[in-house]
Amino acid sequence: MFRPLHIALLETKRFLLDRGDLAFSLALPVVLFALMYGTFGGGESFNGTAHFVDLDGGPAAKLLVESLSDIDGIDVEMHSLEDADQGLDRSSFLSVAVIPEGFSEALDDGEQTSLTFRQRGSGGNESQIINGIIRAITQEMAGEAQVYSVVREVIGESSLPASQVNQAVFTSLAEAHQSPSVVVRSIDVGGASAEVLHRLLPGILVMFLLFAVSLGSQALVEERRIGTLERLLTTRLSLNQLFAGRFLAGVSRAMVQAVVLLGLAFVVLQVGGASVFVQTLIFCVLVAAAVSAVSLLIGTLARSRDQATWSAVFFTMFMTVFGGTFFEVGNTGALAFLSKFTINKYAIDALEGLVSGAEGLSTQGPEAAIIAGVAVASLLFARLAFRTGVGGR
Amino acid sequence: MAGTILEAKGLSKSFDGMLAVDDVSFTIQRQEIFGLLGPNGAGKTTTIRMLATVLDADGGDVEIGGHSARRSSGQVRALIGLCPQELALYEELSALDNLVFFGRMAGLGSQEARVRAEENLQLVGLQDRAKGAVAKFSGGMKRRVNLAIALMGRPALLFLDEPTVGIDPQSRNHIFETILRLRDEGMSVLYTTHYMEEANRLCDRIAIIDNGRIIAIGTPVELKTELGDPAQVTLEEVFLHLTGRSLRD
Ligand SMILES: Nc1ncnc2c1ncn2[C@@H]1O[C@H](COP(=O)(O)OP(=O)(O)O)[C@@H](O)[C@H]1O
Ligand SMILES: [Mg+2]
Repeated sequence: MFRPLHIALLETKRFLLDRGDLAFSLALPVVLFALMYGTFGGGESFNGTAHFVDLDGGPAAKLLVESLSDIDGIDVEMHSLEDADQGLDRSSFLSVAVIPEGFSEALDDGEQTSLTFRQRGSGGNESQIINGIIRAITQEMAGEAQVYSVVREVIGESSLPASQVNQAVFTSLAEAHQSPSVVVRSIDVGGASAEVLHRLLPGILVMFLLFAVSLGSQALVEERRIGTLERLLTTRLSLNQLFAGRFLAGVSRAMVQAVVLLGLAFVVLQVGGASVFVQTLIFCVLVAAAVSAVSLLIGTLARSRDQATWSAVFFTMFMTVFGGTFFEVGNTGALAFLSKFTINKYAIDALEGLVSGAEGLSTQGPEAAIIAGVAVASLLFARLAFRTGVGGR
Repeated sequence: MAGTILEAKGLSKSFDGMLAVDDVSFTIQRQEIFGLLGPNGAGKTTTIRMLATVLDADGGDVEIGGHSARRSSGQVRALIGLCPQELALYEELSALDNLVFFGRMAGLGSQEARVRAEENLQLVGLQDRAKGAVAKFSGGMKRRVNLAIALMGRPALLFLDEPTVGIDPQSRNHIFETILRLRDEGMSVLYTTHYMEEANRLCDRIAIIDNGRIIAIGTPVELKTELGDPAQVTLEEVFLHLTGRSLRD
């Protein structure tokens, strides 16, 4: 009963032990994947260091420095004036913000003060971004100080105690921070790279599953030649069990590839969540079944290893190119017509929907039916023609 | 345990109109080492494939342990072990993994298969190399693994198709000793070879096959007596006498 599973296990183990096969079917996808990552990955957020010289030492200066270091991705380094000049000289950093003496006091009194950026040349991209942030924070601080001093001036002659006035202003400013009148939001609209990724990933995935066809069919021809298949028949294994075992072996070999490639894509490129991953993987089982069945068929019909290789290469190339792996085939014309005869078209269509998270498994019925049809038809033909040795049963 | 374990009756097989095996009949007794001796292309492997139920005969039938190979291949397979001429094993895997796998296919449980695999490796003198990948073995060691696999199902009848082709004397002696020990424990053996002196030394009875036809059957002494004093005559000379050709061609 479990003999086909043993065969599948054995074949998977052999596949994992064969360096050539592994390089071809696992290392190659990883390399391709690294290339994809170079193109689509690396959406990192900004990282930088703000350099300060604090000649003031007052509360406003401290507040400025703290506000900056609270921002994700920004580190703060404090320097003495001499150190800062030396650092600039040696280009250890390109820009320093100098907080002048009396900065806090001046702000408190509503008087004018200044902040100086000392920099080499333009200061570079990093400094320009950081300086912009510093400017925004100081302007906000200046604005708030202005509010305090104006309110104090207006109410100055009244009988209200100064502490009460300050408290009222502080509260209303805090409220403004809590629920600002202008809300700034950013919405992730996916962008071009995500779109391309959602198209390319299924294409590359299916292409590698198809490579399993050539490896599998060659292996079958080879085993018929060296006699392991025939030898298996002299044990108590039936031909049906042997056939089922080889089919499962092809499925599991393809699934090893799918798991590696998809796993990388989902973890490193963050293609989607666990549910998208699982649904994509489930659909891959179906594609792997079709691919394994075709591989059995080619391996069964081929009379030599070369025949198996060339048939599989032709099959894989035809499917890959006309199935729209690298470009969209559209809905009309010769290309679109040809693509209807590829597994890839249907597999890619379905996987695109799944990978992008736009669709679930339940809407992949038509594609799934076509791919399952290919699997069943190939299995039937392969079983009819299946033989273990030359002129054998 | 006297009696017949195998009876081949008028087996024939042709490939593309060419007769590879032509009306071959013989019997193998229990606990007998039966030799099928003949030059390359004589039809030895084709005969073994039909006996081992993997090739359908065009005519004739085989009975093994009272079961027809044609009609009850399942029962027959439970009785036989095949050690094919070509190494039929998985070179990437260890010797132990190969044996355990074929043991499972022969219907053993996982524990049972492991124990028997270790016994068989001991039997062919490879217990120290159990975990080594077969690909790294010498030709002789691979042949011993090939034999050990055939023994996983503890067959009553063992088919050995030229098990000593191109191997070192040490491995060859190991294989001979193993065969003799198994015979003493009750196994029957069909042994094909194109080496005269091997057949002479090992086999209880010999069938000489040429061009798909059996041209003589008997004990080595009987076959040689046809030509004169069996102590002086070689099987080589018997073959030359029967066919007009030298077996070494
Ligand atoms: N599968 C096959 N297809 C065609 N001819 C075959 C096949 N198997 C064997 N033959 C031919 O049958 C004859 C007997 O071959 P074989 O049984 O392998 O001989 P032996 O094992 O004695 O060397 C040879 O002429 C060989 O070429
Ligand atoms: Mg042969």
